Amino acid sequence: MSDQFIKSRPVYQSLAVDSSGLRHLLVSDSPAFSFAALPGQEAEIWFVAAPDQEGRTRPPEAGGGRCFRSPRHLIDRLDHRLARERMGLRLYASGTEDFLWDVFNTAQRAGMNKQEIFQCHSGTKARRVACVHCRTFNHAVTTTIVRCEGCGANLFVRDHFSRRLSAFMGVKVDAEVAGDVPPAEQAYS
Amino acid sequence: MIVEGKLSARVAEIELLNPTLKRFRFVPEGGGTFPTSPPGAHVLVTLRDTDRVWQNAYSLVTPPDQRDHYAIIVRRVVESRGGSHFLHDMLKAGDAVELGVPASLFPIASRARKHILISGGIGVTPFLSYLPVLALRGANYELHQFCAGDEVETFRDLLGTDAAGVHVHSAGLGARPDLAALLADQPLGTHVYTCGPEGLMDAVEETARGLGWTPHAIHRESFGGAKGGEPFVVTLARSGRSIEVGASQTLLEALEGAGIEAPCLCRGGACGVCLLPVVEGLPDHRDHVLSDAEKSEGRLIATCVSRARSETLVLDF
Repeated sequence: MSDQFIKSRPVYQSLAVDSSGLRHLLVSDSPAFSFAALPGQEAEIWFVAAPDQEGRTRPPEAGGGRCFRSPRHLIDRLDHRLARERMGLRLYASGTEDFLWDVFNTAQRAGMNKQEIFQCHSGTKARRVACVHCRTFNHAVTTTIVRCEGCGANLFVRDHFSRRLSAFMGVKVDAEVAGDVPPAEQAYS
Repeated sequence: MIVEGKLSARVAEIELLNPTLKRFRFVPEGGGTFPTSPPGAHVLVTLRDTDRVWQNAYSLVTPPDQRDHYAIIVRRVVESRGGSHFLHDMLKAGDAVELGVPASLFPIASRARKHILISGGIGVTPFLSYLPVLALRGANYELHQFCAGDEVETFRDLLGTDAAGVHVHSAGLGARPDLAALLADQPLGTHVYTCGPEGLMDAVEETARGLGWTPHAIHRESFGGAKGGEPFVVTLARSGRSIEVGASQTLLEALEGAGIEAPCLCRGGACGVCLLPVVEGLPDHRDHVLSDAEKSEGRLIATCVSRARSETLVLDF
């Protein structure tokens, strides 16, 4: 049971500085990211600290970057920052797929267009799954079938990704024959 | 969706705005209403003289919800391909005209948080249909109109003297507009729209790009860009007919002059409706539709603006 390779699945690239921009901001959901700024082009770096690193010294690879407690914390401050930004900014996001699209949607609400935003998938492939029945978001799903935390339905994790919700679609797998739930497979780690 | 077909209309009124500008109001033949037009829309006006037919594109200057009449403003240009002379000198109130259904290749960006409109001379016309829409939406916008000193009053009257966010600048000979000052330090999500002479539109695009704006945020209206060149002969492979394209004529006009119904919409190299396959010959691409790669392949040509580098051009049509 699979509907992989849906055409609308976003495709991600590695990050490189877009030299047509005047200012560059990289946001990452972890201290480990790969981003090489061109010589002479200063990039500002925001990242989320590893859970066990909180309160400790910043990792040296982050340079003068700004450190945040959680992805939510980073995105709150990004929202605030973009409301005051001017044209010429380029935004680069590195992280899990749900983080990438939370960043994208925040930037788009601030008026940025898709030519000004660059995304690179890194870290876990675990999925945020939106239950189409009760609209609960189920986080860090690694299996093909998951029990919804909201309504308890057994959800088949479709390969259908919503950029607006930053989540994959979960639909009841045993809607036709109640209780007929195939075994879940470990698929997204 | 593009609605096909023609609208039969009649000239209701011709108004002289200044020595070279006239406003033409058209009403539907036999009463009724025209379709709603999108902001920034243009119509193809078919003009029939005794020995020639023109199809010229003009921006509608009426608001989108104005359906009892459409209006266009036309400048009588000295170096005309004939259309503006016909409109100014021959067309009279009561005459029948054929209009295309309005189409817009110059829409307002729906996600923009601020709009900057920059026009030169009569290039202001598409913005006359933008302004009521932007005002109604409560949008953040400014309009900068550059024109010759003796036309400042005309454009102020057209745009509304007291309208907030509207600026008419006198740009005399040699005085270049300070575009960097207009475009610098704009909030994220600003879009710029420009319509007017190629030089002005190029300068707006270049200035915005230099300030780090992406192509998505830069919009230009590009019809009316057809320029002449060396005459050449076009051969239509399917019928074997050969037609001469004169120095001041476009390829599309030459086809139409020979009674051939060639596809077209914007007549400015922007929409791609007129693209025809090239079998032989070297196209001189002047459109904004084909990518650089497609242009160098030379397998398609936009007949409304592009010409030939070779003496002959063979089209699969």
